[in-house]
This record gives sequence, C-alpha cells and structure tokens, in this order.
Amino acid sequence: MESNAQITRREALSRVAILLGGAISAPTLAGVLDAATRRAWATAQGWTPRTLNASQTELVAVIAEHIIPETDTPGARAAGVHRFVDTLLADHYPAAERDRFLDGLRGVDTRSRSRHGKPFVECVAEQRVALLTEMDEETYPPRGSDTATPAGDETWFFRRMKELTLVGYYTSEMGATRELHISPFGPYHGDIPYRSVGRSWA
Amino acid sequence: MHVVRREEYDAVVVGSGIAGGWAAKELTEKGLRTLVIERGRNVEHGKDYITEHKPAWQLPLRNERLSVGTKGAEQYPIQARTGQFHEAVKHFFINDRKHPYVEDKPFTWIQGEQVGGKSLIWGRQVYRWSDLDFEANLRDGHGLDWPIRYADVAPWYSYVERFIGVSGERLGLPQLPDGEFQPPMEMNAGEKFAKAGIERAFPDRRVTIGRVAILTESLNGRLACHYCGPCERGCSTGTYFSSQSSTLPAARATGRLTIVPNSIVHSLIYDAERNRVTGVRVVDTTTHATREYYGRLMFVCASTLNTTRVLLNSKSSRFPDGLANSSGVLGHYLMDHHFQAGANGVIEGLLDRYYQGNRPNGIYIPRFRNLGDETSRRGDYVRGFGYQGGASRPGWGRGGGERGFGVELKRRLRDPGGWRIGITGFGECLPRPDNYVELSDQTDEFGIPLLRVHCTWSDNELAMRKDMAASAAEMLEAAGCKEVKTYDSYHGGDGLGAEPGLAIHEMGTARMGRDPKTSVLNGYDQAHDVPNLFVTDGACMASSACQNPSITYMALTARACDYAVAELKRGKQ
Repeated sequence: MESNAQITRREALSRVAILLGGAISAPTLAGVLDAATRRAWATAQGWTPRTLNASQTELVAVIAEHIIPETDTPGARAAGVHRFVDTLLADHYPAAERDRFLDGLRGVDTRSRSRHGKPFVECVAEQRVALLTEMDEETYPPRGSDTATPAGDETWFFRRMKELTLVGYYTSEMGATRELHISPFGPYHGDIPYRSVGRSWA
Repeated sequence: MHVVRREEYDAVVVGSGIAGGWAAKELTEKGLRTLVIERGRNVEHGKDYITEHKPAWQLPLRNERLSVGTKGAEQYPIQARTGQFHEAVKHFFINDRKHPYVEDKPFTWIQGEQVGGKSLIWGRQVYRWSDLDFEANLRDGHGLDWPIRYADVAPWYSYVERFIGVSGERLGLPQLPDGEFQPPMEMNAGEKFAKAGIERAFPDRRVTIGRVAILTESLNGRLACHYCGPCERGCSTGTYFSSQSSTLPAARATGRLTIVPNSIVHSLIYDAERNRVTGVRVVDTTTHATREYYGRLMFVCASTLNTTRVLLNSKSSRFPDGLANSSGVLGHYLMDHHFQAGANGVIEGLLDRYYQGNRPNGIYIPRFRNLGDETSRRGDYVRGFGYQGGASRPGWGRGGGERGFGVELKRRLRDPGGWRIGITGFGECLPRPDNYVELSDQTDEFGIPLLRVHCTWSDNELAMRKDMAASAAEMLEAAGCKEVKTYDSYHGGDGLGAEPGLAIHEMGTARMGRDPKTSVLNGYDQAHDVPNLFVTDGACMASSACQNPSITYMALTARACDYAVAELKRGKQ
C-alpha cells in the first residue's frame, strides 16, 4: 500500500510537470507579457478550455494570480487554477451557476472599462489591484467585524472566484506540497507544538 | 425469458452490509453453506478502492461535494443531499434514477449499492445501548416494550467488539456502557480545553473521544490506523471495520460462502403448507433475468427499508399484506436520529498547539438528559441525545470567507487559523405508527413496487432540538469559548435540512416485541409468523435510542444466528 501511494505521487508529479511544461516561471512574466501572448499561453500546452474562451481563461488566470501570487512558492497560474475553474464550469456547475459565473467575469471587464477604459487584463498591475481591492471590500466586511456579507451578483462572483482560487491552488500538488505540507501517514499526534510543524496542513 | 436456477443452500442472507456480513460470518462459521445475495456490483477489497490515497490533484473536481443540481449528481438527486456525497466516494452510493422511491414529505434515503453495502461508507461510531434505552418504551409508553434487555445483548456486544476492533475510552457510565476497547485516539488541544471546561462546569457531563470501529492496534491481520483521513474511500489495510475488511473474509475462509452480486431480491418464496420461507426470487440487475435460490434459513439484512420492502412485496393468500405481517405493523414505526442542531464557537489562544495526522474521529458527549433521576429530568420532552463534534484549526479554506488577497493572504494562510469547536446533537426519535412506509402503485425497472415513505419529526423531537442547540451553547460558553453560536438546520415544512433520513440511521418498520399481534419479530429477530425467517438489520428496532445504531445491529445479528442455528440443529427449523 505504501509503495503504491508513493508510485502514485511520483506519477502525479511527473504528470503535473508535463502538463505545466515551462509554466512554472510564467506567473512572474504575467505582468510584463502583452495580452496576446498571455492569451496564447493560456491555451497552449496541449490544453484547451471547454467552457471559457481564450480571453475568459486569461482573465481567470490573471485574477487568480492576483489572489494567490507567486512568492517564494509558485502562484495560482502555475498551479493551473484557471484549468480547475474551467473543469468546474464544464463538469460540475449547473447551467445557471455557470452562467452566473461567466456574467461575473463580464462584470469585471465592465467595471474595468468604466474606470480605465480597457478590459481588466490590459490594465496595469496597480489598476488591477485597485479594482480587486474595490471588489474585495464590497464583498467582505472588514476583518474582525460582525457585519454580514452584502448580497448581490458581484459580491457572489468575487467570493466564488476567491474560493475557487483557494481550492484550485491549495489542492494542487504545488499548493499542497510546496506552499503547505501534506500530513504524513503514520501515528496521530493530537497535541504537539505548532513550531514542530511550522505551517498549515494542506 | 424466465430462467429459473434451482440451487439449495443451508442459509440465504439478503444483503452484504453491516448486518448481512455478520450473518454470513456467523452462519458459515457454524457450518452452514450460505448464500449472500447482493443487489449491487461486486467490490474487491483493496483493488476496487479506486480513490484510496489519491491526492486531491488527481481528482478532476478536487473532491468537491456533489450537491443537488451539480452535474456529477444528475443520477444521484437523493444521495447528493448528504454532505458525504463527494467526487471520491460517489461510486459507493446508489444510483437514484435506477432505484427511485416516493417521498410524501422529504425523507432522504441514502443507500449503498455494492458488496459490502454501506459498511464501506459508514460513520464507524459505535456505542452500546443500555437499559435506559431498552426500557424506554416501557417507561414512557411510546412504542412497544423491547422483548430484550441489556443483559441479553451485553455478551454479544463484547463478542462483536473483540472481532471488529473498537478504540475508545472507558467511562463507567450506566447510560453508555463500556466495551472491549483498544486504546483511545488522542484529543487535540482544543478538545482537551473544552473537555476540562465542560466537565468543570457540569460535573454530570463527560467529554470523551469518539468510540470508533477503527483499529489503534493491529488485529487479525488488519493494521492499526495510519491516519490518512477519508476512511469512506475504502481502506486496503482493513483498519476500519467493514464487511469487506472483516466479516466477508472470515465467512469466505470457511469455504462455505457464496456471494451473488448484481441480484436484487424481488420477493421471498413462502410455502404455506409448511409455514416456511423456502427461497428468494431475484432479478439480475444487468440482464433483468429472474432466478430463484433456496435455503432452509432466511436472513433478510437488506437495510432497514429495503428489508421491509421485500417483506411487503412477498404476498400470499396467508399473508396478503406482506410476509410475516399478521400484526399489520410491518412498515410502521419508522425512525431516524435527528441531528444538525448544536453550537460552535472559537477557542482563544493555544496558538502554539497543533496536531499531525488526519484523525477519522471526533469527540462525544454522552447523554445527560432524562436519565431516570429528578435532576436530569426534562419537562418538555422525553428521551435524550448525545453530541458529536470536534475542534480544529481551520486551514486555507477560511480565506474564502475573509477580506484580503495577494501576498498578505497567501502568507496568512500558510499558518492555520485559530481554534474552532463545534458539537451537534444526535437525538432519539420516538417510534410512531404514522411514520411508515408502504408499497406504491409504481414499479421500478425490475418490476418491484416502489416504496412510499411517510416520515416527519414529532413535537418531542422538535422540543428536544431546542435543548440540543441551547445546551450545546451553554456548555461551550461555560468552557470559555467565544463567539458561540447555535444552529438548527431543520426549518420545518417541506424543505430540506435535517430532514428525516439524513442521519442515515433509519430504523424500525419490522419491530421486535413479545406479542405476535403487535410486532413482527420476537426477541431473537425471528418472525413470529414464520419460524425460519430472521430480520437482523435496522428494521428490527423497536426504539431508536440516541446512539449510532450499527453495533447493535451487529450484536443482534450474531445473537440471532446463534439462536437460529441452535434451533436448526434441534430440528426446529
């Protein structure tokens, strides 16, 4: 059983590496590449989105990378969050929920155009961060406050987008094994010093 | 085309889940050539646990819950109602389109469809009943007095526990008798904090680690837990008890076991002259061909409602309303536990404490209401409830509910959040005649009439739920938890939310009793009307108690097998 699990992990590792190709370094480039190159990248690597079109895919990837950026570990784009989102839209969501999400994506560009006269991905990083900050503050009350989240399609979208980014990232092999740790198989230790672990379990 | 294959066995067992697996083990070990009939597909232990140890990134939906309306749930509109229905375990749940039923009001019927049944996906919590439970009907007049008492079942609990392996802590409580326990799993720091605070504030209450059919020490070739977490995907080390890991291998080792999967029982064959069940009619779920099998002893362990459905559909001139139903109570007194009422809160501090390993278990607070004395007596309801719950430090998922994104969010989620704790009550449900099942006019693709279920909570359950929520909050607050909030998922009416069935502890409908006029089974799970017919799954229950019921089904099954084979050897079958 143990050896099987290890083989599986090894296989998975190689498969992810193949899937992502040279993508690991891509997020750092995301800010400097022009939009056309980024769109081309999003649909490259032998993967084609099934629900999102090329520009929607890029929009998801860019927002996701802003939510979980590359730091000392890879970010959301390298972990393929946009692919996960496309899979959910194609294979999981009921049609109405899928459409609501796609409307939400359109809403991001509408907002971006009204502020900056261009779609979100063509804005400079500061403009994008400002737009996302605006949406984040509309969606969530200040941390520590007791206020309820306001309802509405835009807050629904941003919350969902953030949740999907986190799921897609932290359940990816990169997120689970490089950013966080996977709890090893073995004895259970119910009450140990946090410093002996040092970070959250995936 | 009607194909009849005549095969003779000493015993026929319908169903291969918790009860059927135990019947197979006991009957074969006692020398009987035994046939087990299973409607679902074959599952091979280990090999067919196709998602075991699979990391999330190998699952396309990352093991998302498949809730009602999602694409993955299109064939599973009922199964999708339980939070346990996820991508990684979908293949162990029944296809609702193929096996429909009719709900009068919401009744969620969660079912397995494979060799091993729901024992592959059960919750594994095991608690003995006590005489507080076996005498409950007699004491308050709801339902019918059990024909057995704790002393009748206690040795069989021990017998079962020694075989399945139960880890837990001995407490010496009369209302929750101790068993044959392996070492308990450890509580985490948050749970230890809550335990200390609750037991200090309420000397009559105990907080203990869950008693689970999961090994903490290896047993009979099954290995101690390695804490990977999701037992319900199947466990190739056989660590948690299932028919697959334990009873069916034991039965197979005798050389006297035959299992026929993909075969749904249509009805039982009854010989009025001899007043015996002689066999079963089955429909092949793949070809729809019909077959018959014969045996001297018949154990129906098809799961509570499927067992009763088979009996109701076994009509004859002697039993026009269903086999062994001269009393007319077959189908009535359906129960489930009501749950999802409780409280949760925050534990401040302890940020230097954490845990390692995915412990497939939580904490348990044994019943402390209506124990028979004045102090624990409630004026607003009878019977009682226990709590299940646990503490943890939330991981990255909390980020979806909080403001912030970017480098700061990623840095924050690298550490676990502060401690949270939650407990939910599991409450007893009264046995009532108007909670019942009957056959409808429609049939499924196998020609078997669909079950129609009528089941609602009564005022007693609803009054108890108020206390389940309030007492949970009271305890957490007394323990020093902050931001304590109560919840109750049941909202009444025809909506979903803590609806009957959701606890997956459905039981009753072929109850035990002393009098053939008012009960279907006697104290040995033997049909009053037909002496070679036994029902040992949840259908036999005359009350529900508040403890998770599976271990009681196992103990009653082993006890019934012992009795049935003794009778057989005395020539009484």
